[in-house]
Amino acid sequence: MKMQYQKQANIKKKEISEIERLSEGLEDYIVLQDGHIVTKKVSSAFDDLMILTYDEALQSYPALFNELVNVKHPSSDAYQYNFDECNSGLLLYLPKKKRISKPLHIFYVATTEEFTHNTFLYLEQESELNYFEHLFSDAVGSYSYVSNAIVHEAANLTYGALSNLGKDVASYVYRNASVDRYGISKYSLADVGDAIQLMYQTINLNGEYASGTSKTIAITSGVQEARYETLLEHNALYSEGYIEHYGVANNESALIFEGIGQINKGMKQSIARQQNHGIVLGEKARLDANPLLLIDEYDVIASHGAAIGKIDDDELYYLMSRGLTEKAAQRLIINGFLSPVMSLLETDTLKNMFLKRVEEKTL
Amino acid sequence: MVKGGHNMATLKIINLHAEVEGIEILRGVDLEIKGGQTHAIMGPNGTGKSTLASVVMGHPKYTVTEGEILLDGKNVLEMSVDERSRAGLFLGMQAPSEVPGVTNSDFIKTAMNARLEEGKNISLFKFIREYDRAVEDLKMSEDLPHRYLNQGFSGGEKKRNEILQMKMLKPSIAILDEIDSGLDVDALKIVGENVTAMKNKDLGLLLITHYQRLLEYIEADFVHVMMKGKIVKSGDISLMKKIDQDGYDWIKEELGIDDERVFVKEEEQKVMLGTCATKEALDL
Repeated sequence: MKMQYQKQANIKKKEISEIERLSEGLEDYIVLQDGHIVTKKVSSAFDDLMILTYDEALQSYPALFNELVNVKHPSSDAYQYNFDECNSGLLLYLPKKKRISKPLHIFYVATTEEFTHNTFLYLEQESELNYFEHLFSDAVGSYSYVSNAIVHEAANLTYGALSNLGKDVASYVYRNASVDRYGISKYSLADVGDAIQLMYQTINLNGEYASGTSKTIAITSGVQEARYETLLEHNALYSEGYIEHYGVANNESALIFEGIGQINKGMKQSIARQQNHGIVLGEKARLDANPLLLIDEYDVIASHGAAIGKIDDDELYYLMSRGLTEKAAQRLIINGFLSPVMSLLETDTLKNMFLKRVEEKTL
Repeated sequence: MVKGGHNMATLKIINLHAEVEGIEILRGVDLEIKGGQTHAIMGPNGTGKSTLASVVMGHPKYTVTEGEILLDGKNVLEMSVDERSRAGLFLGMQAPSEVPGVTNSDFIKTAMNARLEEGKNISLFKFIREYDRAVEDLKMSEDLPHRYLNQGFSGGEKKRNEILQMKMLKPSIAILDEIDSGLDVDALKIVGENVTAMKNKDLGLLLITHYQRLLEYIEADFVHVMMKGKIVKSGDISLMKKIDQDGYDWIKEELGIDDERVFVKEEEQKVMLGTCATKEALDL
């Protein structure tokens, strides 16, 4: 018993120093470890944003939680489990017309066997928030993470995520947004971890002219299995939904993208677009993309496509014909392929971490 | 006639045979290009001109079945594509690839660094100055360095970007494969001027073209005609002028060739567009 305790403490120490390193150069960030805020370095730009743990929030904002409970969510056991068992919760509440363009980084660190976290982003009318989450765990165990965002009329949510979960982690991640009239939610999600991963994203476009974008970038390696599902549901006229999936599957890993653009009956003039791009590196690797359009209305604009293959031989030849070694050419092509996420990483530290992980996973 | 000093590179192609998917396209090409010289290979479509360029550069699609390629006595056929480039060969391609996400400047910087000892990098300041000058010389748009490699480029822009890369990489032997196709007169003039300005005793040039108009802008010392996968006639600029006036038929007659082509392009197969998924198929 004592020995085990000792081991836990060691892991803790290692991860915190990693976070300290990664947060280098960031102006505003919070580190939340196993349900507790352990570091909070947030400048006055965020004065209007309420940042509360669920313990605090339940007392001050009970009404909000009614909305949270009523959010349209998947009827999955994993979601329910997170809801019932969450041992860590964070509410970010942004009042009307408060706009914060600086990004706020939150590190969700797990050091225990079981991490079950729930985040709630609440954006009132015409507010604007730029949120970036880092999911991080090297522990042996499960990592359950759910975030729900309510984006009210003409509010604007920019949501970035970088997850790097260790190979001994089984993870369930679900991100949901409900977007009201003229609201915008833009998700950019990158996964460079080694965990067995299930990642879901849904955006419900509930008001006219609501718009949702979801970009996912994932690299699988080793014997990793990962599945990413994105659903954009159009429940209003003139709503716009965009899905983009980028994936690299190496070694013997299996990567699955499932994208669904769903336009319900009567939701005229809506736009649903989807693209999937994949590079299969490993001979035994597998990359599936299922770009679905479920459309129950005629007056819409919709497109979907998937391009999966190995690195283009002609591209490789072209770069090599200028003197780049095969490895250097491959690296350049993969980094280029993943460039949509690079531009989101603010500091050189984060960029380098990302590139290092990409290199490790695509060797 | 010996031009240049002892640095001068020599590319020797000896009895080169190459095939693609079992079809022999090059059937014994002999050619020697020395630093300071400009050669032009002319000829109708499908005679193997572009294949020759690709084989010299090492395109993986082609298999060399016989013959030799030597660069300053070194066996080029044993080198990988990137080694050939670093040894001094350059191919300005007919249809350069588009590489999304990789910027032009990152690409060319990486290529220049690949020529230096490991761990060494070119000075960024020097690079930017040189790159900007090349962009200006080729009258390309200023945002070129930050645009993705050839992505969304017009045909003319792609060709000019090839010449820009050549300027930066300073090869000793450069092959320009139909660099004139898809260029309007103004762009052709710019490309011609820039290539001519690069001419020096250390650069051997091989121009591959259908049309003589390129040779109005870049003067050639030697003109070769390719038919049936080999060089069938060589001469000086007067050969080009005769072809311009009389076409190729007199050469075919002289050599008793009916069909100058080595292969006949198959009609592209048509792809029918169908329905990807319907409600019925998905059982909804």
